[in-house]
Amino acid sequence: MNATIDMESLTLNIQRARRAVEELKRLGENFPAVARNAERILASLKMIEINVCDIAGSGFASEQVR
Amino acid sequence: MNYDQPYWNPVLETLPGDALRGLQLKKFQRVFRWTYTHSKFHRSLYEAAGISPEDIRTFADIRRVPTVEKSMMRDIQRKDPFPYGDALCVPLDEVTVFRQTSGTTGQPVYQPDTWQDWEWWAECWAYILWAQGYRPSDRVFLPFGYNVFVAFWAGHYAAEKIGCEVVPGGVLDTKARILKIQELRATAMMGTPTYLLGMAETARLKMGIDPAQLTVNKITCAGECGASIPSTKRRLEDAWGARIYDHAGATEIGAWSYECAAQPGGLHVNEAMFLVEIIDTETGQLIEEPGRRGKMVITAFDRQAQPCVRFDSKDVIEWAAEPCPCGRSFRVIQGGVVGRADDITKVKGVLLAPSAIEEVVRGIQGLGDEYEVVVDQTGNSETIRLRVEILPEAQDQCAWIQSELEDQLRLKTNLRYDLEICGCGSLPRYETKAKRFKDLRHKKTE
Repeated sequence: MNATIDMESLTLNIQRARRAVEELKRLGENFPAVARNAERILASLKMIEINVCDIAGSGFASEQVR
Repeated sequence: MNYDQPYWNPVLETLPGDALRGLQLKKFQRVFRWTYTHSKFHRSLYEAAGISPEDIRTFADIRRVPTVEKSMMRDIQRKDPFPYGDALCVPLDEVTVFRQTSGTTGQPVYQPDTWQDWEWWAECWAYILWAQGYRPSDRVFLPFGYNVFVAFWAGHYAAEKIGCEVVPGGVLDTKARILKIQELRATAMMGTPTYLLGMAETARLKMGIDPAQLTVNKITCAGECGASIPSTKRRLEDAWGARIYDHAGATEIGAWSYECAAQPGGLHVNEAMFLVEIIDTETGQLIEEPGRRGKMVITAFDRQAQPCVRFDSKDVIEWAAEPCPCGRSFRVIQGGVVGRADDITKVKGVLLAPSAIEEVVRGIQGLGDEYEVVVDQTGNSETIRLRVEILPEAQDQCAWIQSELEDQLRLKTNLRYDLEICGCGSLPRYETKAKRFKDLRHKKTE
């Protein structure tokens, strides 16, 4: 694995971002502009998880396809 | 950001083989569980085969999972949840985009995608474009009709994701597209080989513009095998004065392979996103060794709304013997997709791949880019009629060209042809996927 890439920090920050955006989505339940944009951010986050978390350490990003 | 980084994903694209296989197994388990749990169609298929997610522990277990064919998808569609039927894995209101297959081989198959699926499409294309040297400094022209076919839609979004400036040339006609490329000094382009050759011909013959003198320096091809057929690739390179890259993908699969800048004579399979199995069409056995052709069975690991699990694509491929000098550990399929199991047919007892004819025709100077092959039968006798176009400047070499064509065809395909040499412009032109190969034998027995 490329020594200059800190996979552990990447993974930690991705997990933090997911928690934050999932909370945004929850808070935006009656606020379409927040909820729908949060949904789109989650889709982008999933792409970062596919690129990073699926292989980082022993952790597998999620048991879910989404 | 370091734009000299050669890999879109420097970790996954260089992952050692064992780690890559381990990742693939985990990802297969994940998508199989998702599909089993969410798709009624797939679940009934798997239950009939007596296989459930707990049974998938090794690659050998994966081989027990039944394959899915396009005809099966056709059968379940146009029903509720309308119009996708029982393979839909998400609530209908989570589907954000509709696409359909081109219908080249029959009734089109519908493809629902969620927004996450659409992000995933663009992500797969980002691997392709980054590997082919697309960077934010590129101005990318897309000369295709933006419509229900997936075509270059995801290429558009991937180019945006990378940071390129995208020029959508949707409703413009061919001449207007050429003028727009010239006006904006586009540096990159995407298209089918057929259309790009036709576009170059239009520029030269009808507009007096030499496309090789325009600013396009790289072109990504898809939709046909052409950019992996050496003689077609050379014609495209000569016509446009650009690097020509191939890519293979499909609506119901995704963008699963790409040629990298090292151009090893084949396409990398994106093995972090897809599992490609090559299956011997006679025995059904898995082919692992290089140099043996078989049909592709493919799984997309991260597709959500309508999964692609062990899809029998009927694309004919073979593994390359050597790793690519680019440093990617993703394996290479030699010569790209060399044909479709549907198209490779026996004529006069000899296996004929239409791509072999294209390689010969486009390898002969003096012949135009277009050709047409018609296989027919009269009584017990099978015939192959090949129509080609001679360029105006080569009219005086017609006899030599015919003789060369006969010799090369016999050498490369081991068959004899009824040749018809036509004037330039007499054969049909295509804007999308070309239909140059016609087999009338089956039509007569239907």
